[in-house]
Order: sequence, then structure tokens, then C-alpha cells
Amino acid sequence: MSWEFFGTTLAAFFTLSLYSFLYKDNPFYKLAEHIFAGISAGYYVGLIWHSVIKQQLWTPLFNERQYLLIIPGILGLLMFTRFFSKVSWLSRFSLAFVVGNTAGISLIRQLHGMVLPQVRSTFLNVATFSGIVMVLGVVSTLIYFYFSKEHKGAFGFVAKIGIWFIMVSFGASFGYTVMARVSLLIGRAQFLLTNWLHIIK
Amino acid sequence: MNSFLKIFSLLKGIDRRYIFLLIGVAVIMPLIFPLGLPLGVTQPSLDLYDKVESLKEGSVVLLTFDYYPSTLPETEPMSYAALRQLFRKNIKVVTVTTIPLGALSVMENVVKNVAREYDKKYGTDYVNLGFKYGYQAVLLGMGRRIEDIFPMDAYNNKLETLPLMQRVKNYKDIDFIFIVSDNATVDYWVSLVNAQFGTPMGAGVTAVMAPKCYSYLQTRQMVGLLGGMKGAAEYEKLTSNPGRAMLGMDSQSIIHFAIIFFVVLGNLGYFATRKKEVSK
Repeated sequence: MSWEFFGTTLAAFFTLSLYSFLYKDNPFYKLAEHIFAGISAGYYVGLIWHSVIKQQLWTPLFNERQYLLIIPGILGLLMFTRFFSKVSWLSRFSLAFVVGNTAGISLIRQLHGMVLPQVRSTFLNVATFSGIVMVLGVVSTLIYFYFSKEHKGAFGFVAKIGIWFIMVSFGASFGYTVMARVSLLIGRAQFLLTNWLHIIK
Repeated sequence: MNSFLKIFSLLKGIDRRYIFLLIGVAVIMPLIFPLGLPLGVTQPSLDLYDKVESLKEGSVVLLTFDYYPSTLPETEPMSYAALRQLFRKNIKVVTVTTIPLGALSVMENVVKNVAREYDKKYGTDYVNLGFKYGYQAVLLGMGRRIEDIFPMDAYNNKLETLPLMQRVKNYKDIDFIFIVSDNATVDYWVSLVNAQFGTPMGAGVTAVMAPKCYSYLQTRQMVGLLGGMKGAAEYEKLTSNPGRAMLGMDSQSIIHFAIIFFVVLGNLGYFATRKKEVSK
């Protein structure tokens, strides 16, 4: 028995074990679930050690003498003070850096990369039918989410149109989600029939 | 009418495991006995294909493998089809991933297989940058200087020693970015890289993400889009590389018919039995 066949059979065993949950909860499902969780956790620990601590801190700091990395290194270590109640306040420095940094990048990213292009393109083809539908959809959906005025009269009517647009959007998302989940099932069936059983080529 | 209601009452009590079994059979049978149902090509897929076709020989494309192994049935066929199209056109390819779990080995596998098919040489025709943690910093940093973020490639070669990377320093030297993704990194490629550096891009994404990504077509932040296994199958068809996505589309169609049937049946049953319960 080759190693490749052993690996494929093992993968097939875990695939079938996980699908066995559709019949009912059982020890094979539990075994596969726990092994997956354990391997993922172990893999992440190894990955972080190699690709973050070793590759981005240890090697450049000690081999390439990039001493500025001492600052993020100390900030990283301060995060661990959360485990000691007396000095846990020190972790706030690291968190403040992370929050500030993320907020700064996200603000520009959202505004420059998302909001402005979307607003601009909403009104680009306003003279066409699809352009009118687009503007109507955006305005009515925004009105539905405006809760400082009661949804009555003309305002309520436009809000109701907004609900219809939201429902169409949910329907499209649901349809695509069904397709995605079915694709995963097809993928596993292809693996079992092609790689494991060699029924199809 | 009473017999009609009786059927619905019976169906309401049916063990759902029979439905699972039916779905399983509906997936497996078309894989063993393909039906060859027609497969149309949508405009966003065609636009992406045309954009890649319009690139000149020797252009540089950054191909991303931003997906986990759990979504391989949808994303891997896109990577295969895209890479085959790029190599067929003698386009230089730089591959990268921002996903830690498994993407690196998937990327190596796909690139090695296709490079062997087209007799492409590593370092001259394609380069694998590998994985680097922290995608926001990675994406922004590559706009300044790729070598700052990836001093080494995936095989620990210094970038300066690779002929292709001597002329690819940052996004300015990249003609197109082909994103294949199953997560929010696609938003970062659009809102950080396209918005700040203006590099044209297109994407192949999982079906779950497709509705959101359509908005990037409207804003022209993306030139084309492949959505889920259907998008992958369309790209396989366009690039004349029938693969696992096209093979799976028969099952996909049958399952969708079955689900629509169950949704209609379920709703009819619900309204019929509710009317009866209200009249009681």
C-alpha cells in the first residue's frame, strides 16, 4: 500500500465520518471533529512561530540588526500582561496602538475605496432604466434604515419599497449560498469518486 | 382536497434524512453519468476573460491564491483555468497568498502542475512569493516595494536573484491582478490596492461572496468577476480547459431543481395546512 493511497483513504475516512453526522451524532464524527480542531490549532501555533516571530522579529532583529523592531517586540510582549491582573494595564499600550492603527487605515480604506466609488457610480447612469432602478433601490433602502422619523405616509411607502429591495438582495444571497454549499458537497463527492474509488476519471 | 391535505400532512412528518439521501444521490449520479446540460457564459466572466486576452505577451500578472482548502471545489478550478490562460499567452506570473492555512501548498501544487504543462521556467516565467502574515500591511507594503515585504520567495531564493523580479518592483510594474479568494481579502485588494495604486483587477470568488462583489463591477473597480463553481465552469469553458467545475455543473443544476421543487412543495404544504388549522 503506497503512502498516497493511505493518505487518500484517510481523507476519505474523515470525509465520510463528518458526513455521518447527517444520520446522527456518533463517535466517528466526534473523532474527525476533534482531530480537525487539534491539527488546526497545532498548525497555527507552528505558523505563527515560523512566519511571524521567527521570520518578522527574531531573524531581522538578531541577524540583520534591525533594532527598531524592539519596539513592536515589546508591544507584543505587553499583550501577555493581560494574564497578570496587577500589571494587566500595560497591555493597553499595545491595544491602543492596534486600535489606532486599524482605525486610521480602515477610515481611509472605507471612505476612499468603498463609500466614494459606490456613491459616484450610483449616479453615473441615472438616465438609463437600470440607473433609475439603482437610484431608487439605494434611496429607498437608506430611507428604510432611517429610524428618526416614523414610517408613515409617503415616507413609509418609500421605506416599504426599500424592504422589497432588501428582500431581493437576501434572495440573491441565499441562492448563491445554496450554490456554494452544494459546490462543497460536489467537491467531496468528486474526491471520493475520482481520487479514492477511481470510478470517474 | 382532503387527499391533497393528507399528502402534505404526510410530507410534513417525513424524516429529513430521506431528503439528505436524495440530495446525495442527485449529486453522485450526474458525476458518474454526465448529462451534458448546456452551460451559458455570463458577461462578468466574459469581461474578465477578454481583459486577460487583451494583455500583451510578456505582461506581468499577479495571481493570488487567497483561499482555504475548504473551498477548493469553487476556487481551485478558477486558479487552474486562469494560470493556463496566462501561460498560454506567455504572460509572466507572480503568485502570492495572504491565507495561512493550506493555501501555500495548494498554490505550489497548482503552479507546478500548470508550469510543467506549458514548459515554463521558474524565476523567468513565473515566481512564487509565498505567504506573509498580516494582509493589510502586506498589500500596502507591496505598493512601495515588493522586496521589503518578501525579501525571499516561497523557496528561500532572494528576490534580487530572480530575473523576473528584477523588473517587478511594485504594483506599477504589474499590469493586472487576478484575485482568487474565498474571504474578505478581496475587499482589501479593491479598497487598498485598486483605490490607492490604480492597478486594474478582476476576481474569482466563492458563490457566497459573489453578490457583494458585483458592486465592484458597477464601480469599475473590477473588470470582471467569476462567482462560485458556475463562474469557475464558465472560465474553464472560455479557456477551453474542461475540468472539475464543468464536471460538477450537472449535479449543481439537478440539485437546484430539487431545492426549488422542495421550496415550492414546502410552501404549498405550509399554506394548505395553515388554512386548515385556521378554519378549525
